[in-house]
Amino acid sequence: MTDKSKDMLIGLTAIVLGSVFLITFIAIESQVGILALIGMTAIAVVVSARMGISKRISEAFSSNEALMNGTVIVALLVVTVWFREDHFPLLMIATVMLYLTACLGLNIQFGYTGVVNFSGAAFFGVGCYTAAVLNQHTAIPHLMVVVLGGVAAALVGSILILPVLRTRGHYAAVVTIAFGILFKTFLEVNDTLGGPQGLKVPGMEVLGWNFNSNIEIGDEIELSFYLNYVAIGLILSVLAFALTRRVERSWVGLSLDAVRLDETVAACFGINIRRWKITAFTLGNVLVGMAGAVFAMMLGFIAPTNFAFGDSLILVSIVLLGGMGSPWGTVVAAGLVILLPEKLQAIQEYRFLLYAIVVILILLFRPQGLLPRGLRAYVPGWRG
Amino acid sequence: MDAGLLGQFVANGMMLGMMYALVAVGFTLFFGVLDVIKFSHGDVLMVGTFAGFSAYLGLSAMGIDNVFVQLVGILVVAVCSMAFLGAVIARYLVLPLKSAPPLNILLITLMLGTVLREAVRLFFPDGSNPKPFPYLLPTDTWSFGSFTLRADSVILLLGGLLVIVGVHVLINKTKMGLAMRAVAQDEETAKCMGINFNMIVLLTFALGSGVAAFAGVMNGLYYNEINFSMGLLLGVIGFSAAIIGGLGNIYGAILGGFLFAALQTVGAVALPFSSAYKDVFAFAVVIALMVWRPTGLIAEKSSERV
Amino acid sequence: MTKGHDKVLAFRGVTKRFGGVVALDHFDMEVDEGQIVGLIGPNGSGKTTSFNVLTGIYAANGGEVEFLGQDITNWPAQKVYEAGVARTFQRSRLCVDLSIFDNIMIGNHQHLNHGLMFNIFKRKAFRRQMEESYEEAKELMTIFDPPLADRMFEAVGTFNMIDRRRIEICRALISHPRLLLLDEPSAGMTEDETRQLMDDILVARERIDGLSIVLVEHEMGMIERVTDRCVVLNFGQKICEGEYREVASDKLVQEAYLGVE
Repeated sequence: MTDKSKDMLIGLTAIVLGSVFLITFIAIESQVGILALIGMTAIAVVVSARMGISKRISEAFSSNEALMNGTVIVALLVVTVWFREDHFPLLMIATVMLYLTACLGLNIQFGYTGVVNFSGAAFFGVGCYTAAVLNQHTAIPHLMVVVLGGVAAALVGSILILPVLRTRGHYAAVVTIAFGILFKTFLEVNDTLGGPQGLKVPGMEVLGWNFNSNIEIGDEIELSFYLNYVAIGLILSVLAFALTRRVERSWVGLSLDAVRLDETVAACFGINIRRWKITAFTLGNVLVGMAGAVFAMMLGFIAPTNFAFGDSLILVSIVLLGGMGSPWGTVVAAGLVILLPEKLQAIQEYRFLLYAIVVILILLFRPQGLLPRGLRAYVPGWRG
Repeated sequence: MDAGLLGQFVANGMMLGMMYALVAVGFTLFFGVLDVIKFSHGDVLMVGTFAGFSAYLGLSAMGIDNVFVQLVGILVVAVCSMAFLGAVIARYLVLPLKSAPPLNILLITLMLGTVLREAVRLFFPDGSNPKPFPYLLPTDTWSFGSFTLRADSVILLLGGLLVIVGVHVLINKTKMGLAMRAVAQDEETAKCMGINFNMIVLLTFALGSGVAAFAGVMNGLYYNEINFSMGLLLGVIGFSAAIIGGLGNIYGAILGGFLFAALQTVGAVALPFSSAYKDVFAFAVVIALMVWRPTGLIAEKSSERV
Repeated sequence: MTKGHDKVLAFRGVTKRFGGVVALDHFDMEVDEGQIVGLIGPNGSGKTTSFNVLTGIYAANGGEVEFLGQDITNWPAQKVYEAGVARTFQRSRLCVDLSIFDNIMIGNHQHLNHGLMFNIFKRKAFRRQMEESYEEAKELMTIFDPPLADRMFEAVGTFNMIDRRRIEICRALISHPRLLLLDEPSAGMTEDETRQLMDDILVARERIDGLSIVLVEHEMGMIERVTDRCVVLNFGQKICEGEYREVASDKLVQEAYLGVE
């Protein structure tokens, strides 16, 4: 067997194992089962890291990118089809994809450019409320509404542009935190956008196809309507992922990194700091807003309590947990952060507490994240 | 708006300002000494308040009814336990991460705040519901027309003022304070001069946390109610106040605290619609202020060596 | 467009204050095209400050800076770079987590296409530009540090200080600047390494038309060997200028370095 085939085999095997894990994880109901599964997987991961298998897998991934990426998408489709009739698993999968999209946006903002954003949930909320208002009161096609959710988030973000540009580090953090609180309080105190009770959101409908009704095939098969949302979530996250990749593997990504790493040097070599911070901030917010719009339509109902500071923290933690600037890391982290608490029902009450402790531990002992970002490869595998 | 009502707002604003200032002083002390934003500060305040509350429950259970003793007991327990907690946090969470990117420290302390909050909510008996804080201060009031001055407000304000003056004296007139200032200015040189860096850091954190605990007890005595999430907003406000005043500058922090309270008061008074907008207004002004002065009103004195 | 000007750079009465400290005090200096000018003086005399004012990091409090016939006083750093000025830093400032190639390409900003459309959608054209740039960077690296030329995609952090200085110089040269500012490039190097560095810089100069260099150095051997002229700074003012030998025997200069008896 040639080296290349060996590589591909390793990569594909990893993906298959991952899919099996995912299906099992989502399907298991018993708490003991879940804990056992998590335990076994954790051990397997640690052992394979020690034995260098993880390294082989990541090499396999980077030398056969197109194949691996395609296979992952196929694997996700397989997982989705497995749960085709169950509402809850599909809802969770769609949620992961939408959060992933949002976090990829945040990743561009501070993973690459170093623009701190502690109000991610607020921009997500902007997307949600845009969808709510436009779907209720206008006849704008819903796909357009998704795009408009992104645009709205970018517009609202432009309020913060000046403060974000002029401040750095802790001061920038304060500005975005203050904005997040401001946003939530604003929503709660006035009733134009539903006040603290929130708003109903009409479900998505594309070309007559109603996303909110189950899909019936014949007499026997009734597929969960969440399949629709998984589909659009998948499209959105794949686009966001591809965009992130291309941005990073280009002069744009290089400029963003330069802005983050050393503004003075960047300026001395002609990099326009303002331009790139604005670009990154806006682009990130567009992704966050679009994810929010779809999320609102999927949930059917939104309220200000969804967009609190704690939620912004969760988004930031996902990016950090996965590894700043590492798209695959963000994928894994988003999955973990969303799915784990949902499955461990016994600890529902202690969710936040445990989550916070885990993040602290990771920050103390593995601050580079689960899948740390590697060196830039403009064309994967090409080294001159 | 008659003078009496206005006076009411002002008195209330002064109280808030004092509390915010006390919290902000902690933030600024920590930043000065370690270049670190300890975001769990607000929740430390909350834990301190609950500790004090537990002390009160303990004392009552033991049959001690003397209000004065109870008050002292609450304060001592709250301040000392939080001083201890602050030092522990410094020792085990903040110092080890000294050289980590600031975002990491920010996040760790934010998460720590969450841990503290959830711990109280889950493990303190009936933690998720607000608790009534005892009426330990004289409830006399003096009326001037439609303006009612509460005795407890005066006492609390005086108490807060004493603490601030005490901190000022400590920082500026004692050897320990000198060491703190030295460390804040230049860690390396301070170390070279024989200052025990780690000890000073622990002491600074203990001081800031103790002061915050005092602010928390003040809050409890004034509103006669405490709950597990009281630290979150206070923390953000204290942070904003410290930032407005310029991180590392104690007087800036005090100024920032009163300024924020003033903004809230103005917002509550001046805005025609519901005074619930006061927070929106205050935070909007904070953001605008940051645009005008990106490093706080009293600018941070640091320069980058190119 | 601006070729044919004999004078590439001129500082005219440039003053820079930091609070009470006067770092540059009516500083005058001229550099002609193709020259290598040494800028020397005791520590704290304002050498790096002059670079920082020139490259737009600091705003001057008075005076003018002229470059290729244009008044560039208080221009933003980006504009100064685009006019053709590149520099290295006293404390080597590279992005240690990025690869050598990345770091050099930061210096090549001017010649790269930064449009979002180009970088996201026109991947074939981007690849071509990337490969061309790689060849250029590799050639440059081969002059200064041949072993590194095959390791362009490794993180800068894995290399020692001397290698990093060389990478930094490549970063400054990749954009074919008209004026190169070197801030103590030989700091920490042995005599042999210093000599090698200077030879490499001269080789590079041959390949870039009309490159002028201002060299801040404490290593006088290097200054003597390489510079056409020297300018001596003390307390922000020019106290002497001329060829190294003249300047070295000047009484004022000796006092500045060694103190008055």
